[in-house]
Amino acid sequence: MITRRRFVELGSTLAAASALACEDGPPQLASLLSSATDPASPPATDDVDLVSHVAGRLSFGLRPGDHARARSLDPDVERAVERYIDTQLSPDAIDDTAADVRLRRYAELEEVPGALYEYKEQVLLSSLTSAAILRARYSERQLHAVMVDFWTDHFNIDSAKGDCRWLKAADDRDVIRAHALGSFPEMLRASALSPAMLWYLDGRVNRYGAPGDRPNENYARELLELHTLGVHGGYTQRDVMEVARALSGWTVRSRREVVFGLGKVEFHPEWHDDGEKHILGRVLSAGLGSRDLDAVMDLVSLHRSTAQHLATKLCRRFIADDPPATAVDRVATDFVSSRGNIASTLRTLFATPEFARVRRTKLKRPFHFVVSALRATDARTDGGPAVHEMLRRMGQAPYQYPTPDGYADDEASWLGTLLWRWNFAAALAGNRIEGTRVAPAALRSALGGEDGLRAHVLGRRPTTSERDILAAATDSLPLLLACPAFQRY
Amino acid sequence: MPALGFATGIAPRDRALVVIFLRGGADGLTLVAPVADDAYHRARPTLRVGERDGVRLDDVFALHPRLAPLIPLWASGELAIIHSVGSEDATRSHFEAQDLMEHAGGAAGGWLGRFLRLRAIGQPGALSSVAFGTELPAALRGAPSATVLRSLGAFSLGDGAQGMLRALGELYAIERNALGRAAGDTVDALQRLERLASAPRPITAADYPRDDFGEALRQTAQLVRARVGLEAATIDLGGWDSHFTQAQLLEPAMDRLARGLAAFRQDLGADMARTTVVVMTEFGRRVAENSALGTDHGRGSVMFALGGGVHGGRVLGGWPGLSPDILEGPGDLPVRTNYRNVLAPILSAMAERSVVARTFPGFALEPVPLLGTGD
Repeated sequence: MITRRRFVELGSTLAAASALACEDGPPQLASLLSSATDPASPPATDDVDLVSHVAGRLSFGLRPGDHARARSLDPDVERAVERYIDTQLSPDAIDDTAADVRLRRYAELEEVPGALYEYKEQVLLSSLTSAAILRARYSERQLHAVMVDFWTDHFNIDSAKGDCRWLKAADDRDVIRAHALGSFPEMLRASALSPAMLWYLDGRVNRYGAPGDRPNENYARELLELHTLGVHGGYTQRDVMEVARALSGWTVRSRREVVFGLGKVEFHPEWHDDGEKHILGRVLSAGLGSRDLDAVMDLVSLHRSTAQHLATKLCRRFIADDPPATAVDRVATDFVSSRGNIASTLRTLFATPEFARVRRTKLKRPFHFVVSALRATDARTDGGPAVHEMLRRMGQAPYQYPTPDGYADDEASWLGTLLWRWNFAAALAGNRIEGTRVAPAALRSALGGEDGLRAHVLGRRPTTSERDILAAATDSLPLLLACPAFQRY
Repeated sequence: MPALGFATGIAPRDRALVVIFLRGGADGLTLVAPVADDAYHRARPTLRVGERDGVRLDDVFALHPRLAPLIPLWASGELAIIHSVGSEDATRSHFEAQDLMEHAGGAAGGWLGRFLRLRAIGQPGALSSVAFGTELPAALRGAPSATVLRSLGAFSLGDGAQGMLRALGELYAIERNALGRAAGDTVDALQRLERLASAPRPITAADYPRDDFGEALRQTAQLVRARVGLEAATIDLGGWDSHFTQAQLLEPAMDRLARGLAAFRQDLGADMARTTVVVMTEFGRRVAENSALGTDHGRGSVMFALGGGVHGGRVLGGWPGLSPDILEGPGDLPVRTNYRNVLAPILSAMAERSVVARTFPGFALEPVPLLGTGD
């Protein structure tokens, strides 16, 4: 008899075999090389043009041909960019076979929480990390992948804490990826009831048994400080304690307590403080039971401070480390009027003059840098342990940030590990990363030669001094990937 | 009273910590044997360290003869031993005990990773924490940047590295901003490493064991001496799970440990004052030997602390003795000192006390007086 796990193993072996079969040769390049009507013509301007800018900000970097493809969406460049944005904001309408095929081997990530416990924690973390890299590298739904990266930090969970080592896979699927471009209130509620989050921020032990029991405030505080209102969002310590009372009794079945139904989220009325609560100036009447959670969600998810907090973070990601207040206000207003519709909020952000004006002001974080290099070179990659190790050296091991604030999104935090970026650039160009392959000669010729390669990687033609330095090098590819211009987006 | 580290004028940012984890549960009663205790000789008729075999340390303890290379460090007061030490985990499972010890409780990240992130000295450098081996130890999870490597060769940019480095220097020099400055620092660090890698080994070179452990220690010493911003290194040494034929297993392991540490001490010279080595294991072993000339999983074991202002030449921790009423569970040396209380004074020399407290959440620290009399 084949056990279920054995069956999954067989399935993933088969899927891996079929995915490998599709990987004989860089697919993108292969189609480019064979098609005379779709040349990978790189940017041909001295400055980063609007297409490079927008496609660069909404994605993990441009592959050969991406610039030409985006530009060709409409004869008018602004309309072409609008169409690009529209397409990216509706990910479900984008065919994503290239990514799906490669992700099939990670069938374990599709398991329900209880079944995740059947796997070794190292296997799950490795699969989860590989899947994130493969999606960012191969998915056509690039903005969705970028927003998954954004929300993964916003609702950060360190897979090293307690049962998060098994449950983060479910959180990634059911909270982050399910809602990344959807409704913020729905995502927030999913996060509040995510078994991994109940573990990570101790919600599962927030229990009220008898008068005098003090609630565990951990989740309540981060809910207000990080997930919604923001640290200066106008709440008090009293609000934190009252939110904790309102959420008491929600827990998750864990290994030490039960055998069956591991990872199942439940409400225990006997552990719930059912008295009256006062939160953010509103009264929650006694006796609401599990509906206290709904009331809390309603109070915070579309609060004006939440809108301001999220708009600031989104503008930081897409515009500048120090986001312009005018853009933040406009985005926050849309967040409220669209009732937390993330796609609508982003559409407003992308329409601001501040977004249109900036160019290459943001430093790529390590994950972004690594994936953008894989995309720029059209590298074939398994997203495996060799790439994980590179990310860890650069300081951004996915799902391993310990504190709830998530990896930082500012330049200063990432300047210390340039050495490993250079090391990665040299290793990638020299085909010294296990499980990852580039074809530099084919890449150059697909891009129309050395000048095309430079313009493609830099997003513009090189400056005179860049040209001189690159011309003196024996191989320009590692230098292009390691150079300052490629560290920014 | 401030930690001795501050008194000696070494800035916390110049200090480095080397954590050696003896994987498998090392038998503290063999490494540092209570030879003056009759109960010890009765419990270990075959495996005991004889009163005349060991190197006597004080009224109670003798060092196993295979650890004799450590004696000069003991005599000079640089090496301290902490006995009957361990964690609160009583499962006697390798996995559970290592997991608890490395995470230090239920908080996210490992204790060392958490500490490095909390103390946040300037910008995390590319070489701030290094794990020798093939996997990141759980203790380093959550560090601002952690590098797993088997050899310093991993730093190299490969063929044509010099040309690439020169070109990168020029490209980043165009950037007159923080990114350009960070690149300048990086070029400097890389050049120091390249010089180290190509420098001929001095004739007086320390005699490291010729294995992965010795190599890891040698390269750690190189990183410390090159001043490339190393804050912490972790090295694993396995082979301690001595359920049967204990002597054959432990003697070569002790040999490597002692020769490695002695060579490291010699190699570092004056830099030892700003480097602390701590040796730990997940648990000790049953007091009574088993029928296979081995010992089974127990509780309390030993830790070693070397260099970096350690006030050594002492066995600390409070020896409880081995009388039946003292032993725990199936007959194990109890844990009298929690390992966090050994790490705490060492970490205090590298960061403010509040950082050390936050490194070990939910635990009331009572630091062992490791660095001086009043710490």
